[in-house]
Formats: sequence, structure tokens, C-alpha cells
Amino acid sequence: MADFKSNVRSHIVGTTAIVYASDYLNKLTGERIERECKKQLDSGARALVIDFSDTELVNSIGISILLGIIDIAEKSGALVVFSDVNNETAQLFEMLGLTRHVVLAKDEEEALTTLSASTKAMGH
Amino acid sequence: MSSSPEQLRRILGRVKRAEFVGRTAELERLVSHASHAEAGREAAGLLILLAPLAGVSELLRQSYDELFNAQGDVVPIYFSLPANETTAVSAAIEFLNAFLAQYIAFRRNEPSIAQASLTMNDLVQLAPVVDLDWIEELVNAYNKQRFSEDERELVRFCLNAARRVPAANPRPYVLFDAVKFANYDTERVPFANELIKALAGSPFVLAGLRREIVREVEQAGVDSGKLEKVRLEPLAEADARKLVASVARREGVAISDECRDLIAQQLEASPFLINALLQAAREKHLALNSYFDCERLYVDELLGGRLHHYFTSLLEQVAPDAVDRRALIRLLSESLPAGQRTSSFVAWAKRLNLEPAHVEEILRRLHIQEIVNWDGESVDTQRGSHAWRDFVRSRFRLDALREPRALVVADLMSAALKRAPQTIARHYRRIASLPLRDVLQKFNHQRVAGALFDHAVFAADYKGAPAEEVAARLEIDPQTVKLPQVFHTAHGVAFSAELKQFDEESCVVAHAFDGTGYTSENEIVWLAAKIDSKLEAGVDVVEAWCNRLENLAKRSGFLRVQLWLIANEGFSAGATEKLREHNAYASSRAQFELLTAQLSDSVIKSSAATDSEFVFILPMGADNELLAAATAEQIARRLNFRPEAINQIKTATVEACINASEHSLSPDRKIYQRFRVEDDKLVITISSRGILPENFEAKAGASAGAKKTADVLDQRRGWGLKLIKTLMDEVEFERVDEGTSLRMVKYVRS
Repeated sequence: MADFKSNVRSHIVGTTAIVYASDYLNKLTGERIERECKKQLDSGARALVIDFSDTELVNSIGISILLGIIDIAEKSGALVVFSDVNNETAQLFEMLGLTRHVVLAKDEEEALTTLSASTKAMGH
Repeated sequence: MSSSPEQLRRILGRVKRAEFVGRTAELERLVSHASHAEAGREAAGLLILLAPLAGVSELLRQSYDELFNAQGDVVPIYFSLPANETTAVSAAIEFLNAFLAQYIAFRRNEPSIAQASLTMNDLVQLAPVVDLDWIEELVNAYNKQRFSEDERELVRFCLNAARRVPAANPRPYVLFDAVKFANYDTERVPFANELIKALAGSPFVLAGLRREIVREVEQAGVDSGKLEKVRLEPLAEADARKLVASVARREGVAISDECRDLIAQQLEASPFLINALLQAAREKHLALNSYFDCERLYVDELLGGRLHHYFTSLLEQVAPDAVDRRALIRLLSESLPAGQRTSSFVAWAKRLNLEPAHVEEILRRLHIQEIVNWDGESVDTQRGSHAWRDFVRSRFRLDALREPRALVVADLMSAALKRAPQTIARHYRRIASLPLRDVLQKFNHQRVAGALFDHAVFAADYKGAPAEEVAARLEIDPQTVKLPQVFHTAHGVAFSAELKQFDEESCVVAHAFDGTGYTSENEIVWLAAKIDSKLEAGVDVVEAWCNRLENLAKRSGFLRVQLWLIANEGFSAGATEKLREHNAYASSRAQFELLTAQLSDSVIKSSAATDSEFVFILPMGADNELLAAATAEQIARRLNFRPEAINQIKTATVEACINASEHSLSPDRKIYQRFRVEDDKLVITISSRGILPENFEAKAGASAGAKKTADVLDQRRGWGLKLIKTLMDEVEFERVDEGTSLRMVKYVRS
């Protein structure tokens, strides 16, 4: 079920939390996503999918916050996948080295499949 | 409908508007000032600060004619203090008379009244019906006032005539010609004080010597800082030549081109001296077809004509007593030879054998006339025009040494004839020479192709290509040099006597700042020299110049220097090696000319770019960077950028706005954006006011690095600028006095 308390849409599929980024990823919206992700991890989520299907523009502060989220997830032993990232945003992620730390999936379905495969490979 | 210059009635102008040379911009400024100045405003005055002999009368007379002919809401009143009247009372009465005559002339649109010799009663008779009451009242009041005992009150009454004009009437605009306040120094009435106070009540122009007028204005209690100012220097060389030709034509004096150039040079572009000499030629029915003709006339005029009269009057003003004057001429004449330029005040007092107060008075007057530079202690006598120096020398020989006049005339003529070809040769050399100082002054943080400063690279990549192709390729050459901002230039000889052996123009010392801040680290001195060589400059000459310039830098205590040598045909391979050893820039004449054109083009482009320039100001915060991005997108679409490039421009714009917001303690919390569309590129400048953080540029260049860094804020800064640099083709911080200004360029082809 969607949760609008922090203005960030999210839902759970099994142990994976799917969090939706807004149209402009900046400091404010980035921090909202960060808060939502922390909340989901604290609630027992074992993986995060951040969906960028609505995102048209990201700025460098937003990207630095995404790195922070990846960091937090790593510490919690959770995997992170970014889905539905448009070409321009994907290029920025590439330029700033985010793609070294996170998998990009075409869409939510591919993200879940990727996570499932990774979980099996890790022997969970 | 405005009249053409030819159609304007000539009223006070001594020449037709079309023949008025070299002061067009100043004329427009005065006429515009008259139209805009509001009565009663303290700042409604305009001061004309004159260099000696720069000439201003005709400018004021032409302004008068334009305003008169316009028959608008401004009534021009021109007044020049009579040369033979030195009492404050008679000068003030003259002013009142001229004021009324010119006001009535304007109101009746009858120019002849403006200069007619009329009594006050005549003027009342001529006053138009609408002005009769106040003019009659003014004249009656004057008639009562003039028989009173109080001279100061009478002067004040006359000079304040403009205040008596009813508010509903067209406003008087007083144009006061070059005032010699020194003539009134001994008056009981403080004339300068009264005049300036009176003028300050309504719009006015006051012209006077630049070293005198501001002080007098301040002493009258008027804040000179609030007055508009026009500075009049001698004419530009080209205008001076035009003036000589124009005056000669008007006076009916036949003149050759060579003589035209000689007179313009020898009289140092002074409209006053040029007019005086050519009027004398007309009176004597002389044609000026050779240097001999010119110099014979010059010597005659200097020893007995208009020039003599002018300089004699000047001397009499400076030292009214004949004995003092003789001593002064001796002292000035003996100070003229080179090497004796400065002496002390005490030495002057001793030589003149006068009380210190008297010496001070003489020195103050000489200083105002720019015949000496006097700072209260030392006196620099190497001043004044060449004509003045010739005059002083000859007066000394005639009056003090009692030499035969024929001998003095012969010597003066001989010296003038010998000097004429040298004067012209120097002039032609200056025209032909590379304008090194001008070019350095245009640097102003511009970025140009590095090949322009590297002769070897230029020769390899560009030599032999058609000029248009070279210019076009240099524009897009990726190897660029960012030039510093030069704030002071001087000839090298001002720093090193060793350079006296070369032409003055051949070496320039330019103090500058590179980088984005006015800091000691960014201070740099460019030492530029032109090598006189018909062939490629060789190793020896290059080595000698590098050593010479480095020695100059060492002796002068310059910490960071950049050497730059320019040789007509470039440099030999060995010389190029030597230049590299000294980290010196090297350009051929062709490179220098391309650089000159490029720097001039940028100035023209930047001033002519307004049609294709969009400027927006957004408040910081509230995601307003998205508005900037949307604007950038719309403008980029017009230029047919590819969709991918448009997104890159948008992202870079967003990042630049964030930087502007984050990096300055901005007092107004605003982001200033300028989008300029050029042929093949979009130039975006994002700036803000505020404080630039220390090491800002260093941080700007920092890499994003790993994600686990301690200082996340610093990391973010680095990321934003890294992104911008990746997304745009050119990125640089522009020099601004405060805050940041980031200039980004995206080429359509990219």
C-alpha cells in the first residue's frame, strides 16, 4: 500500500521496498527519499528499488544523497537497484561514478528480477 | 523637426556646425545635459575640466547655437568674462546685461539681439510682452542696487539673474566660458565664490582649468562630486589634422598635407594654438606649403604675434610684478634642460628672492596652468607645451641676457627647422608602430588562442593559410590562453634608464591580475618588448632582451613576471629555444595583428550583443533554478541544439544556479543570468553577489572522488562544477568584484 506521509510514494514487494523518486531530484526531494529508505530498512526491508520513472531532472546534491542511501543500504546488508532511469540521468550517474555502486534496471520488474537473482546467488 | 548642421543658424558659433571638428561627443553631451537638467536640483551643473590650451569656447558657442535654434524649453545664456575687465562688479554687470540680451533674443527668436550692445533700458524696450513685467522689475531693482555701497550685494544680484525668471518660463541654461578665477584674486568681492553659488541655483555649465575649477567649486560650498563632468584634453591626432585643414580652409590659407601634419604635431593638437597660427597666416597672406613656411610663421608668432601675446598675458597673470617676472623667466629657462626637472620649494624661494607666501602664489598659478607640477614641496618644471618652452627660452635670452633679437630669431628658426622633420618622423613612427600599450590594456581576462603567443606553434599550424581561414581557425582553437586584467601600463623607460637607447614605444611594463581575485598571488607583471628586426629575430637579440627584461623585473622587485617578445618576422629556431628557457611568449607581427583584431572584436561583439542577449534575475531558493533551466531550454531550442545537448545545458544551468546560491553570502539573495546567443554558440553567465569562499577555484576543480569522504559539502561543490565542466564546452569563472560569475559556453556543433 502506498505511503504518502513523507510525500514519497513507496510500497513493499516481499522484502523489497520500492520507493518512487519525484520529477526533480534535488536536496529536498532527495532527503525525503533518504528518510523513506531508512524507514523501510528499519522495518526489515532487505533490498531497495528506487524508481525514477517520473524523474526528469536531477542535480548534483540529489545525486550525492543517492550515494548516501547506497551507503546506508550497504551497511544494512541490503541491495539497491535504480529502475526506469532516463538516458540523460543515466549519463549523469555514469559521470559521477554512481553506476559503480548500483545496478540500473530498465523497469521495476527487471529490478525485482535482478534482486531475486542476486539474493539467490548470495545464498539467501 | 531637427535641422541639419548646415541649416542651423550661426549665432555665437565662430564656425559652421559642419566645420566644428573633434568635439562632437562633448557637444551632444552638453545639449543633452541642457535638456535633462532640472531647475533647482543641486546636481544640475556640469563642469568642463580643461587641459591647458584644450580650447572650449567654440564648444560652448556651438552648444548655444543648437539650443537657441531648437527653441525649446531651455534658453541658452553664453558668457565669457571680458579679457580687459578685471573687477568683479563690472564683470557681474556685464553678465546681467548679456543674460537679459540673450534671454530676450531667444524669446523673440532674433539672434541679432544676443550680441547687440544694448543698455538696460534698451533691453526693457525690447522685452516681449510676456516677459516685460519681470524684466522691468529686474532692471528697476538693478538700478537701485547699483547705487548702493555694498559691492558684494550688487555682484550677487547680477549673477543671480537666472533666479528672477518666473518658474513657468523657459529655463535659462548658463554656459560659462573658461573662467580665469586667478584674475579676481585681488578683488574685495570673492568673485569665484559668488559666481559658483549663483550658478548652482539652476542648470549650468562651467568651464575652467582642471587644476583650478574643482577646488573653486568646493571652496564655494558646492559638492563637486554631485556635478556632471566633461574632461577636455587636446584633440586626438586625427581630429587635430582635420582641424588644421578645416581652419586653413575657412581662413583661406593654402596648406600642404605635410604642413597640416606638422602643425598638428608641433602645436600638440591644441585648438587654441592651431587657430591662432592659421589666423596669423591669413592676416599675413601666407601659404603654408613647406616646413620653412610653417616655422617662419611660428617663430614670428612666438616672438611678436598671437602666441607671444597669449604667453605674455599668462606670465603676467602668474607674476604681475615685472621684476618677479624676470626672475621667474630666468628660473624657468634654466630649469628647461633635461636632467634638471625637479627642485625644492626652498630653492625656488631663494632664486626668486621672494617671501614664501608670494612664491606659493606664483607656484600655485604655474601649477594651475600645468607649467609646473608642484606638490607643496618639490617643483617639477618639465611641463608645458613645446611652444611655451620656446617662448620662455627666447624671452630669457632677449630680456635677461640681452642677446640681439636677430640672433634669437635665427637660433629659434634654426632649431624649429631642425626639429620639424624629427617631429614628423616620430609621429609617423608612432602611427606605424604596434600599439603595444593599447593591446595590453584590452586584455581584460579575455581568452584567446595560445598560438598567438607561441611563434613556433603558429608557424607550424597557421603560416601560409589565407587570412580569413587563420582568423576562423584561431577562434575555435582549443588551446587557449586566459589573459590577465591589466590595470596599469607604462613605457619600460620609466622603470629602466637602460631602455632609453630604444624607441619609447618599444617596451611596455604592464601590471595585471590573473586568476579571479585581486590577491597578491594573482598579481603579475607583463614585460613586453618589440624587437626591431627585418628578419627573424636571432638567439643573441632574444637573449639580450630576455636578460634586460629580467633585470628590470629584479631591480623593480616584481615577483611574478611574464615576458613577451614581438618581432616582425618572428623568431629563428635557436631563438625559439631561448624563449622557452625563459618561459617567454613570442609573437610575430602577424600574430600580434591577429591578437589585436581578436581583442577589438570581442569588445565590439560584447557591446553590440544586446539584441541577442537575455538577462533574468531570480530569487535564490524555491527550486527557482528550474525556471533558469526552462529559459535555457527555450533559448537552446531556438538555436537548434540537439535534444541531448539541450538537457546538458539545462543540467549545467541548474548546477550553476545552485553554486551561485551556495557559495556566496549573498546580500540580495538573487541569481543573475545572462544568456547570449552568438552565431554558433550559446553563452550562459550565472552570477551572484556576495563573498567568494577561500580556495573556491581549487574546490571547483576538485574531483568527486569516492563516495566515502568526510566533507560531504565540499564533495557536492566539486560534483556540481565537475558536472558543468563535463556538460559544457567552455567553463570559466569571470573576474568579478564580489560573489561568483560562471561563464559557460555550448557550441551548436557539439
